[in-house]
Amino acid sequence: MQQEVVLALLAKEPSHGYQLRARLRDALGPLGDAMNDGQIYVTLARLEKAGQVAVERAPGMPDRPDRKMYALTAAGQHRVSEWLTEVSWPKPDLAEFHLKLLAAAAAHLADPIAIVDAQRRELLRRLRDAQRAAMAEPRESEAALLLEGIVLRLQADLRWLEACERTWTKRKASSRRGQ
Amino acid sequence: MGKLIIVSRLVVRDLRYRRGETAMLVIAFVAATATLTLGLVLHGVTSHPYQQTRAATAGPDVEATAFPSRGGPPADRAALASLTPLVRARGVTAHTGPYPVAFAVLRAAGHTDAVLAEGRGQAPAAVDQPALTQGSWVRPGGMVLERSFADALGIRAGDRVTLNGRSFLVTGIAVTAAVPTSGVGFLESSPQFPNPGLIWVTRTAAESLATLAHPLGYLLNLKLANPSAAESFANIHTSGGSYRNNVGNPYLLPWQDISQQDGQLIRSEQQIMLVASWLLALLALSSVAVLVGGRMADQIRRVGLLKAVGGTPALVAGVLLAEYVAVALVAAVAGLAAGRLAAPLLTSPGAGLLGTAGAPPLTLGTAGEVVGVAVGVSAAAIFIPAIRAARTSTVSALLDAARQPRRRALLIALSARLPVPALLGLRLAARRPRRVAANAITIAVTVSGLVALLFAQASVGVPDLGATGSGDPGQFDVGFASQTERLDQVLLIVTVMLAMLAAVNAIFIAQATVRDARRNSAVTRGIGASCRQVAAGLSAAQVLPALAGALAGIPGGIGLFAAANQGGYSGTPPAWWLIAVVLLTVAGVAGLTAAPVRAGARSSIAEVLQAEVA
Amino acid sequence: MSATGNESMLRTRGLRKEYGKEASLVRAVDCVDLDVPAGETLAVMGPSGCGKSTLLHLLGGLDRPSAGEIWLAGERIDQMSERGMAALRRDAVGFVFQAFHLMDELTAVENVELPSLLAGRSPRAARRRARDLLEQVGLADRARHLPSQLSGGQRQRVAIARALANSPLIVLADEPTGNLDSEATLDVLQLFDSLHQTGQTLVIVTHDSRIAATADRLISMRDGAFVDDTRLTGGTVGNLSALAGLDG
Repeated sequence: MQQEVVLALLAKEPSHGYQLRARLRDALGPLGDAMNDGQIYVTLARLEKAGQVAVERAPGMPDRPDRKMYALTAAGQHRVSEWLTEVSWPKPDLAEFHLKLLAAAAAHLADPIAIVDAQRRELLRRLRDAQRAAMAEPRESEAALLLEGIVLRLQADLRWLEACERTWTKRKASSRRGQ
Repeated sequence: MGKLIIVSRLVVRDLRYRRGETAMLVIAFVAATATLTLGLVLHGVTSHPYQQTRAATAGPDVEATAFPSRGGPPADRAALASLTPLVRARGVTAHTGPYPVAFAVLRAAGHTDAVLAEGRGQAPAAVDQPALTQGSWVRPGGMVLERSFADALGIRAGDRVTLNGRSFLVTGIAVTAAVPTSGVGFLESSPQFPNPGLIWVTRTAAESLATLAHPLGYLLNLKLANPSAAESFANIHTSGGSYRNNVGNPYLLPWQDISQQDGQLIRSEQQIMLVASWLLALLALSSVAVLVGGRMADQIRRVGLLKAVGGTPALVAGVLLAEYVAVALVAAVAGLAAGRLAAPLLTSPGAGLLGTAGAPPLTLGTAGEVVGVAVGVSAAAIFIPAIRAARTSTVSALLDAARQPRRRALLIALSARLPVPALLGLRLAARRPRRVAANAITIAVTVSGLVALLFAQASVGVPDLGATGSGDPGQFDVGFASQTERLDQVLLIVTVMLAMLAAVNAIFIAQATVRDARRNSAVTRGIGASCRQVAAGLSAAQVLPALAGALAGIPGGIGLFAAANQGGYSGTPPAWWLIAVVLLTVAGVAGLTAAPVRAGARSSIAEVLQAEVA
Repeated sequence: MSATGNESMLRTRGLRKEYGKEASLVRAVDCVDLDVPAGETLAVMGPSGCGKSTLLHLLGGLDRPSAGEIWLAGERIDQMSERGMAALRRDAVGFVFQAFHLMDELTAVENVELPSLLAGRSPRAARRRARDLLEQVGLADRARHLPSQLSGGQRQRVAIARALANSPLIVLADEPTGNLDSEATLDVLQLFDSLHQTGQTLVIVTHDSRIAATADRLISMRDGAFVDDTRLTGGTVGNLSALAGLDG
């Protein structure tokens, strides 16, 4: 979980830890269920250390983590504004698979096409699950939007896998002819 | 110049790309222009047949016949004496005869008929030399028949006949201006010999035919210095006092009377020809308009493509016009040729209408008219759609918005209650009401024509020229059979032409409908309609408008005949003939359209749908 | 025609479709053996030109095979007469086309009732069934709209409703979302999913992996032959979180 996400969640108003947890769960839908509860407090602690978040202690409250009130500092607010304008995008990670195929082919360890097919099957299964989850959510809900994104990324990956299959099939055919 | 090249290239490419359709278009155009040509030729020929015969045979200006009075001595020269002074009368420039004439009874091939036998010599006469259409002139033992009489009896040169029991050989057939072209009911006749036909034999043969009961008479042909004075000449010399004697007055006949009678006699023929020629022309023009208009719908999308690649509206309109005008020109020339070749069928002496020798005139004027009309009609038929197409926005043309069929909610709701073939047929017809109307109108025009011709034929059979008196008409075949027979032939030919043109139209419309309905037929079959149901629907969409048109054609034909027939005499064909016409027409349409319909209903569903998506 | 339990709803043996002759011979479908049990949703995927559409046309009776056997609910259909096949298309098979192929001049409800009318139902019964189906696909308020007034997704849903008109044993869909955007694709997806829930046997030809992912079983086709046959199950939501970028 990126730190800036937690910062942004605090931008509206100071919140308790459990409130932040609840908002995250709502936003993530079924994906939020698998979230580690404790993770958010670790992040909050880090942010406090970095000086972007400050703890407001409610008067007369015992010193327990879930009762702490967290709020943005000036530095924190600055960081949020900065973050909102950043256009960095999560990195795609295709090189690993690409090299896997090349290595398998070069060393004759396995049939690249079989590898591609197996990966395709797996992605299709995940696509199926993502789709089911998406359809279970009400349309236009935030969770549905997130799941739509997952589905579309999987689709794109599957298209690339199809292209891999085509290319490697041609390569196999021509190498066979060459022999 | 570059534009011209582009236009011609586009036109040629398109025509070549749609070869089948272009072929159909050309065929239909050719049929239409051939029909039009024939109509015009017919119209021209019926005008002055008598004049042509008169000129060809040096027809007499005045004909004088004299018979001795009854009870007098046979072969009396007194009749001859009454004619002789006429030869030297004022105004006469030439004469031939007097020829002996006698009544006789002819028997040939089962017919019995009365004849007036004219005795002639071998040498050609200066006035009234009959023009042979078959065989050779009279010789001993031989006779020549007048042409219309020979047609009526079905006698040809070389046949053997008997005359008053004596055998004669028919040496030839000839036409003459001394009798009207129909040769009917004009000659001097006696109660015992009603409506005799005219024959020529040798002088001695004619003299030998005279009997006590029917003595020999004489016939004199006169040529006048002033032919138009023939009527007054006849008046003077008929009622002139010096010729009133007991011997029997000569009967003088000026040529104008013959011409007039000829005119009257063939008026029914002329009227029919007039009606037929107009009908043919009308049908020809309407079929061209239908053809051209029908194709326009397909062209809208092409227009869009042309414009999308940069064609100006002028270019687009030019391409469309050029394409149809080109086809019309080519077809018009071919149609002219076809019409010209077919015309003798109607006008040649052998087949029978009018006594003119030689080929019918196809003047430059007629040819020009035909080509002009063909080109003009197609240009007119395409003018407005072409302008509209050129003005349509490119996008809507590409999307073929103009082709979207209109929705007829009422018909659709109604068709849901009908059995499946009727459901499909009605919805199909509702998509293209204009084409349905065109179909019905074409059939209506055709059936109107057929009905009018039926009425005409019934009228011609009615005798109008003085039923002969107290004699026994049943004894002899009546001479005007020749007229009806010739007319029947002509009617038959015209009917066939009408039917052929209508058939071409019907096939064309059916093909266009099937092609238009390709996608819908495939989809309907794809969701479960059987081949047979779809075919029945396609068929119904053709046959039902045809039925409506045929039914409308009956009053239409009656009206048409009434409008054309100002001569008065009219008969009515039996009612079941009219019903038969309707039924045959509908059956004909169903039969002709069966092939395109079946082909359409049987095509591979998958192929059609793939093609439609592409 | 009926099928019970685990009997095959659709079965083919040695199915073949060829075009052309000798040198120009094209094997669109090459010796295909297929078994589809009742209630299954089967997706057939493959590159364009691999013959999947041709296969579907054969299964739906829109085309005749060059060789092989096809059995639908226990009855052999590849050698049926034209009439028999028409009855098949009417009562046993519902076909959904990529290009929708609705009648332009009929409203949505008139389009949907057409197969019922062809089957001989009374106009009233046909109309009622059509309205029910339109409601099922979520277009009850568009019943009187012409296809030109509907979006692509709505048209396809009308087409699906039409395919269901005579309660077919099997629904065949040829690239049903090929002409649709992602929103419309979702609508169609949900429709197929609900059909699946009702136990309808579905065979869908597609190149869209989203559609394929709704299926129970996925067959990959290449050059007219089957090259892969997988059952799609498994995975947990935990995997999804990883895909969303939520790690530990």
